[in-house]
Amino acid sequence: MGNLNPIQILVDTVSVGGLYALTALGLGLIFSVMRLANFAHAELVTCAAYAVFALSGQPVAVAIVASVGTAMVLALATERLAFRPLRSADQTTMLIASFAVSMFIQKLLIFTVGSRPKPVDPLPILAQPIAIAGAQVSLLKLATILACIACLGALTYLLRRTSIGLHMRAAAEDFTMAQLVGVRANSVILAAFVLSGFLAAVVALLFVAQTGFVHPRLGVQIVLVGFVATVIGGLGSLPGAAAGGFLVGALATLLQALLPAELRPFREAFLFLIVILVLLFRPNGLWPAPGLKERV
Amino acid sequence: MNGRAPLLSVRDLVVRYGAITALDGVSLEVGEGEIVAIIGPNGAGKSTLLSTVAGLRRPDAGGISFAGTPIAGGALEGTVRRGIAYVPEGRHVFAGLTVLENLELGATVRRDRAEARAHLESFLDAFPILRERAGEAAGRLSGGEQQMLVIARGLLSKPRLLMLDEPSLGLAPKIVDQVYELVTSLRRDGLTVLVVEQNAGRALAAADRTYVLNAGRVRLQGRSAELTGAPDFDAAYFGLKD
Repeated sequence: MGNLNPIQILVDTVSVGGLYALTALGLGLIFSVMRLANFAHAELVTCAAYAVFALSGQPVAVAIVASVGTAMVLALATERLAFRPLRSADQTTMLIASFAVSMFIQKLLIFTVGSRPKPVDPLPILAQPIAIAGAQVSLLKLATILACIACLGALTYLLRRTSIGLHMRAAAEDFTMAQLVGVRANSVILAAFVLSGFLAAVVALLFVAQTGFVHPRLGVQIVLVGFVATVIGGLGSLPGAAAGGFLVGALATLLQALLPAELRPFREAFLFLIVILVLLFRPNGLWPAPGLKERV
Repeated sequence: MNGRAPLLSVRDLVVRYGAITALDGVSLEVGEGEIVAIIGPNGAGKSTLLSTVAGLRRPDAGGISFAGTPIAGGALEGTVRRGIAYVPEGRHVFAGLTVLENLELGATVRRDRAEARAHLESFLDAFPILRERAGEAAGRLSGGEQQMLVIARGLLSKPRLLMLDEPSLGLAPKIVDQVYELVTSLRRDGLTVLVVEQNAGRALAAADRTYVLNAGRVRLQGRSAELTGAPDFDAAYFGLKD
């Protein structure tokens, strides 16, 4: 890092931004259908990462399948056990419940596997750099970009071209009216949790491959930034969440590359300063959801 | 009513919001193939009645039965599966979805996909403006177009009973004509319609029978033709008699 080769910066920006975009989308899916800011999303990421760690001796395909499975099953379990009984409760109650679920799983992890970071390197083959137009770019970053594009494409297809996607978008706009035309509440909510679990696992895999460590607060780190991205993008708007993720990733990378060396440790402070400025001028985010705007 | 069991039967329905009693023992019946109107001033309980039948609220007392089966409780998405399409007040289009997507959502419960598609096409033929703007966000349609869209969306579920809440609200008189033309044309297809209106004249003209609701009670009921100009109509409507 630190050199100003534009290709290098572009690749860094898109690979970091893509991870935040997928995180923000995972959060945004749940928020849009349930109006739940799901803090426990962090633990979906963390547990998916630990699944990779637990299977580090196995073929990488096994680890990937296990981590995706872990995050999806955990997402469904939290919905069934924690959020479904509270579905008719107000948003604050659900928010607090998601904190409780998040803390519970995090402490359970610390209790069972310890709080110390553990090294894991699921995809060593991707560590080697390749040269593109004079810049040294790691295969891992390119793979991250490809994975993000694939996920965004698949999610867009699902939401725009399938009937469950149509039902989810209808429910996101007006849940009651969606039920009145016959959309089943459980179907759209379960679909949202399955998808958010899948996205959490993808984020976990890519993040673990980039950092080489797992620890119980890994998910929280990413998901906090993911929340910032959804708020900047516009809560409840999925394109907004994705764009907000890329924007936050781009800002973080650019600050890292452009700030003088002595200010770099304070990168996050500058990042959040920009976030505050955005929200001062656009309190609903940059690309607010139409349904939410009407209620203001 | 032809002496047959009514399609919808509401018995002594009581609905309260905290200390306020919105419906205070309302009974009404809607026979198969009838158009029935509920009229009354603002706050009479008309919308509460429809939304309770639709399953949005639970009755505090009394019962509702549809096609001979008691309904109350259960998931909201069961309403349309029973054959009740509810078009709430305020034109709830899915504003960010396209006109076509709104119509497709109307056919969510249909299993006969090919027929549903043909049915959808028939609405696009009947309302060329909807076909013209099929790919646009429904929120960009005018009020009248949105009203046609939500009625068409309701009809696409192939309901036995269509419940319309204030379909004329906020629309120009010419558009209201079109809405009521559509409603009366539905009778030919054997559809049963229960419509709530503040616009008493319109409702009386379109409906076979009318109930006058005021302060949560049925004050007057009868064939629409007989209610029009009935000596106690104004008193009932404005709540002057008790």
